[in-house]
Amino acid sequence: MSERGCRPGRADRRGMPLLADNYTASRPPAWQGQLGGCGIASCISLKGERIPGDRVARMLTIMKERENGLGAGYACYGLFPDRKDQYCLQFFFDDEEGKHGAEEFLSERLDVTHDEKVFTSESSTVPNPHPIVWRYFANVPGKREWRGDKGLSEDDYMVELVQHINEKVEKAFCVSSGKDMAVFKGNGYSHEIAEFYDVERYSGTMWLSHSRFPTNSPAWWAGAHPMSLLDWGVCHNGEITSYGVNRKLVEMNGYRCTVLTDTEVVAYMWDLLVRRNGLPIEVAAFAMAPRTFEEIALMPPKERRLAEWVRITYREAFLNGPFSIIVGRSRPETMLIALADRKKLRPLIAGLSPDDSTLYIASEECSMRIVEPDARTWAPEAGNPLVAIVGKGVIRRGTEDPFLGVRS
Amino acid sequence: MSEPMKQGKRFDHRLPERFIPTIDRELCRVCKRCVSECSYQALEFKESRVVAVGGCVACGRCQALCPANCIEIRPVPPQFAPHGNWSEKSRRAILAQASSGGVLLSSCGADDDHPSIFDDLLLDAAQVTNPSIDPLREPVETITYLGRRPGRLEMCDGKVIIREDDTPLVRLDMPLMFGHISLGSISYNAQRSLFMAAKELNIVAGSGEGGLHPDFYQYADRICSEVASGRFGINPQYLKGGAAVEIKIGQGAKPGHGGHLPGEKVTTMISETRMIPRGTDALSPYPHHDIYSIEDLAQLISVLKESTEYRLPVGVKIAAVHNVGAIASGLVRAGADFLTVDGYKGGTGAAPRVIRDHAGLPIEVAISAVDRRLTQEGLRNRVTVCAGGGIRSSADMIKALALGADIAMVSTSAMIAMGCRVCQQCHRGLCSWGIATQREDLCARLDPEISSAHIVRLFRAWNEELKEVLGAMGIDAVESLVGNRDRLRYRGANPKIAEVMGVKHIGEGWG
Repeated sequence: MSERGCRPGRADRRGMPLLADNYTASRPPAWQGQLGGCGIASCISLKGERIPGDRVARMLTIMKERENGLGAGYACYGLFPDRKDQYCLQFFFDDEEGKHGAEEFLSERLDVTHDEKVFTSESSTVPNPHPIVWRYFANVPGKREWRGDKGLSEDDYMVELVQHINEKVEKAFCVSSGKDMAVFKGNGYSHEIAEFYDVERYSGTMWLSHSRFPTNSPAWWAGAHPMSLLDWGVCHNGEITSYGVNRKLVEMNGYRCTVLTDTEVVAYMWDLLVRRNGLPIEVAAFAMAPRTFEEIALMPPKERRLAEWVRITYREAFLNGPFSIIVGRSRPETMLIALADRKKLRPLIAGLSPDDSTLYIASEECSMRIVEPDARTWAPEAGNPLVAIVGKGVIRRGTEDPFLGVRS
Repeated sequence: MSEPMKQGKRFDHRLPERFIPTIDRELCRVCKRCVSECSYQALEFKESRVVAVGGCVACGRCQALCPANCIEIRPVPPQFAPHGNWSEKSRRAILAQASSGGVLLSSCGADDDHPSIFDDLLLDAAQVTNPSIDPLREPVETITYLGRRPGRLEMCDGKVIIREDDTPLVRLDMPLMFGHISLGSISYNAQRSLFMAAKELNIVAGSGEGGLHPDFYQYADRICSEVASGRFGINPQYLKGGAAVEIKIGQGAKPGHGGHLPGEKVTTMISETRMIPRGTDALSPYPHHDIYSIEDLAQLISVLKESTEYRLPVGVKIAAVHNVGAIASGLVRAGADFLTVDGYKGGTGAAPRVIRDHAGLPIEVAISAVDRRLTQEGLRNRVTVCAGGGIRSSADMIKALALGADIAMVSTSAMIAMGCRVCQQCHRGLCSWGIATQREDLCARLDPEISSAHIVRLFRAWNEELKEVLGAMGIDAVESLVGNRDRLRYRGANPKIAEVMGVKHIGEGWG
């Protein structure tokens, strides 16, 4: 797969050579997706206070065993309090040409109110080439039309634009397109990416982060996590063995898979189930990590009926295989969802600060102990979602009945 | 009529025998059991010993029941001068047809030696990056539903709305169904064995065209009632009492063809079940004469849903033909809750050889075409796809699921479990195993208790093998395999087939 062989002098922690290929916005030729292990870490202020970026960076970088220098990323929510009603489109461009192409495309279709270069460090150890990272704040025009369709909602319109750019506009990739949030990711170790973007300069009410240990495929900046669409951000540790099935469901509903990884499909799945189909978080989580029919048979009649129908209807949404994911969104509220597969084959642990003001989610306990030595930790159950909302606290601990609070 | 015929002159070519039952004289006790077992009268007792007199079809009955185990059925060595182009098979066909002047009939599935595409597919397994699962220690689910699914759940005032009345579903314990084999093409005992096994396995069995015998209503909740072009045996109880209703448009072994049960097979029992006079030919027209287009089919689907009060899934069965993807889409749009696609290697009780061997599509290709087309049109998550025609083993079943079928349909393998040796003589009604016959003495040879137990054991074993493979792939529920072509690789000689099926070639990874 490598075009140029291995880069002399660039090796992972164990001295294994890394491929010289390094792609930013454009998808590497013959890209077939990536697999491997990962570390995930997240923190959310339950009282709505701002958490500086170095806090989540410390959480992530401590889990050294979980990464090999081929990708890491951060997503910050509550990032733009002054512009929180506008979409923030954050881009990777290979070069000025990509930037020009994307801007030309956007200018006709969005009301861009402000754009700026995203800070990136010149003295970074992150291997070259680096993308141009740029962000645009934009409103969706009242009169909008996409390929003859005039009835699209603002969000659906934005989804079409972003997917079109990622599929068709060369040398440009939109890494995040939500409101009041942005994604900072790239090809390097978690500490390198933190330095590259200087995440310390940002603070937000919620952070997601991810580092990974993929097999040695070409590095692609846009393929790193968090994967994002609208304000959904997804960090994922796992390998979805049902990828082919899940991909069919999102494609049937109009999503175009451009990154070709299971995480991308997971992000689209949340958007489909929760935003477009309007399902409660608990129901969407159940669809992705359902209980067995044997367990369903033991549920009380009303829950049983709901469980059966969710499972039958959303069969293609069932994410099989090992995973733990953390999912963020900023609308209608800034919310964190953590979910592990139904056998809990990948780790996921939660912890609350002693004053109940901050919730931490991570792959490993060390991740929260380094920033909150006295955190009260617990393990969310297999296939049981944990939900926390800024300003509201922990809504679900991931140990409750599957449909607690859901009406059917 | 030609001259020789008028004169009554015999002008059949005499063809060399194909098989000869050979008796070990040292072991033979001359009990004559083989003579009475041979329904093809290929053995006779002559002058103190049993001799082969011709006509052996290698059904294996004599060999299996010989108490001295002294019979071996040997294929006759080639009797034709060798020729690379004019195979023995083709010359035999010409001679037979020159003698009879008619359409050559045969049965079972296409017997050409085209390799099965299933054999060119390899399954994936989990290593390191995802853990495999031991089905003996952890749940691996094989429960499957047959019928229409809603596509999505609606929300109203913060409540999840479930409209289960719109989408009747049948639950199966494994992704398998028995195909439609009518009473008439097989015996009462053979059909009873299938129904008993379907009930025991908690799957469904097709009724076949020909109604349901009164004794079989006890299995009706596991029977898919077929509505075919002859409309035989259809009454309110038949439709409403079953698990599902299936309109038969075509059959893989004979796409575009109807059915013909000769009058001599229409016994009192068959006449009562099919609701036609005894001794009359039961002819199923080639098309349904009320369905000449898709909108006509939509009407019949509506009529059947109306008559079953929307309590049963109504499906349509078609033969796999070249444009199967588009046809499948039409069926879903016409209201079918499930589709059954039957590949060209599918079995039959009687079919013209020219159609059986030369028309249709391999099921592997048909499944992927249907699955892809329905996915492209956003319909795949509303409908159940059943597929059969050449599924010989659990491996074939698993590959059929991975290519995109929800449910694998099998018939021949169930009959082999009962004793069938696939000698391709079903159309003659002389089945020595009591399966494809209506002759009372032959029917009595099949004990439904024993045969159904054999069927149950076979498919329980398949289900265990399915779980083993799922577990090895790191998948713990069968629905995550359906249409998951990423977990297949093609190793055959023609990469174009892989491309058409949407399966990667061996050696192509994804990470």
